[in-house]
Amino acid sequence: MSRSITDLLQYETPDAIVVTTIDGNVLHWNSEAERVFGYARAEAIGQPLESMIVPAGHHDLYMQFRRRAIENGECTFETTRRRKDGSLVHAVVTNKTIVDDQGRPELIVTTQKDVTHLKVLRDAKLVESKFRDLLESTPDAIIMANETGRIVLANSQAEALFGYERGELLGQLVELLLPTRYRGAHVGHRSGYAAQPRTRSMGAGLELYGLRKGGSEFPVEISLSPLRTDEGTLVMSAIRDTTDRKRIERTLQEKNAELQRANQAKDRFLASMSHELRTPLNGIIGFAEFLSDGKPGPLNEKQKEYLGDILNSGRHLLHLINDMLDLVKVQAGKADLCVERFSLPELIQEVCAGMRTIAETKRIEVTVEVAPALDFVTLDRQRVKQILYNLLANALKFTDDGGHVGIGAAPVGNDCFRLTVSDDGIGIRKEDIGRLFTEFEQLETGTARRFGGTGLGLALTRSLTTLHGGVIEVESEFGKGSRFLVTLPLAAGGEGE
Amino acid sequence: MSEGTILVVDDNTTNLKLVSDILGFEGYRILQAGDAESAQEIIRGTLPDLILMDIALPGMDGLTLTRRLKGEEETRHIVIVALTAFAMKGDDAKARQAGCDGYITKPIDTRTLPGAVAGYLRDRA
Repeated sequence: MSRSITDLLQYETPDAIVVTTIDGNVLHWNSEAERVFGYARAEAIGQPLESMIVPAGHHDLYMQFRRRAIENGECTFETTRRRKDGSLVHAVVTNKTIVDDQGRPELIVTTQKDVTHLKVLRDAKLVESKFRDLLESTPDAIIMANETGRIVLANSQAEALFGYERGELLGQLVELLLPTRYRGAHVGHRSGYAAQPRTRSMGAGLELYGLRKGGSEFPVEISLSPLRTDEGTLVMSAIRDTTDRKRIERTLQEKNAELQRANQAKDRFLASMSHELRTPLNGIIGFAEFLSDGKPGPLNEKQKEYLGDILNSGRHLLHLINDMLDLVKVQAGKADLCVERFSLPELIQEVCAGMRTIAETKRIEVTVEVAPALDFVTLDRQRVKQILYNLLANALKFTDDGGHVGIGAAPVGNDCFRLTVSDDGIGIRKEDIGRLFTEFEQLETGTARRFGGTGLGLALTRSLTTLHGGVIEVESEFGKGSRFLVTLPLAAGGEGE
Repeated sequence: MSEGTILVVDDNTTNLKLVSDILGFEGYRILQAGDAESAQEIIRGTLPDLILMDIALPGMDGLTLTRRLKGEEETRHIVIVALTAFAMKGDDAKARQAGCDGYITKPIDTRTLPGAVAGYLRDRA
């Protein structure tokens, strides 16, 4: 024999052989132990065995098997062991207690055989028969791994997704399917998961990537669930390639940004247009006013009448331009509330007085009913006036001669109130109510021709209401009339009180 | 007939004419400038009693010119009234800070302008 038995036992036994003190400190560590656990002999000697090779969560089991060996002299079992790099192996372990001359336990001799590949085959057989058919029928790629992180089942969707041949993934570490930069961390996450297995998605909020056999990466979404079997807990991962979804998301984001830019450009355009339009209009209105007042010289009746027409048209146009500018400002978030304390009944009277001529011309009766409890409110007076003005103007416009328009105000809860403007005019069709507050959406062209206006009024009214933190609603029955309800806080945030 | 010399500074020729004519009909002597630089030129020749000053001007703006005029001994007494666009928030405060004695918002109300101007001139006297 060319080598001594001692030499063969140290270097050539096919099992890892470890001798420890009764407390578990390593005295002997053979070459196979170096290979199976990854610790060199010099590293291992003198260290507590548990700290090196027992996975987290296995302490009780480890102690239990040692105790049994001490009590019974010997104990054989199958368990999971940890390697120096954190990966897990499946081992068949035998602990044998050695006693001293007085019969007291002195040492423990341990043989450990790495049976990871056998365990994979056993687990694979178990899940193949139970789950293969089921998992082939799902659209997702499914990978099952056992506690040592070895793949025990990959459905054909998974093989196709990662570019492997039938059966090629069996027994491989799941880390094979990850880009190398994530592998180290993954081993740690995996043992963490094994300690507390539950159904969840992997790496919530993180970008996850899969690695194909050919070396290319792709974004994935993974959900994990534990599968408890007689052979231990397996982890099932359902993997979805999100390349297409990511691309669509990106495209949508870009489109969205583009739309926002276009919308801002539109707002800027409208704002500067309104300003530019107003400047010459001021000239038109100013000179017409000056002339019609007869300052430069006397006018005959017809001249006065025509100048009055120019003035009315000019003022109407100015009003529309102002509405448009207001709307753009409010919608672009550039409008601030100028909050002050004022009397709501007074404001309502003021608006009514302004519209009296129109109401009288059409012989429309306007009634006002303000709850006595309501008096002072703290809001942007000018804008509340605009809201009421717009609603009242609309009500008068869409009510036939001799009709009735009612204005009401009543408290809602402790800190809100509701303004209502109702009429017995033409009303609104149910299908049209949704479009009512959209700018430039006047209902049917016929209406626009008959009643005039730009279709800006209600869009602006809603924007002004929203700006105050309020809500505008409408109730209407076609042919019978409409009721607009504006709910506003008694005091809006902003400057002032 | 009202007395006094008024300088109207506005880069919009229509507005310049409108304001000038309205006040001209009241009897004031009217001087006109389309920008701050020519306004300075005019003031060097004739000291007006009141200036109606458009804020947004090409080149030097109306507030800068106001600060200069209010900083000089010979021109400090001139009443300067800013013409601000449609009650832009904060413009009135800016005009006051620059030294304007008052402001009138555009669009000009042809019916109230003469009264307002007369008021500013009376306040100075």
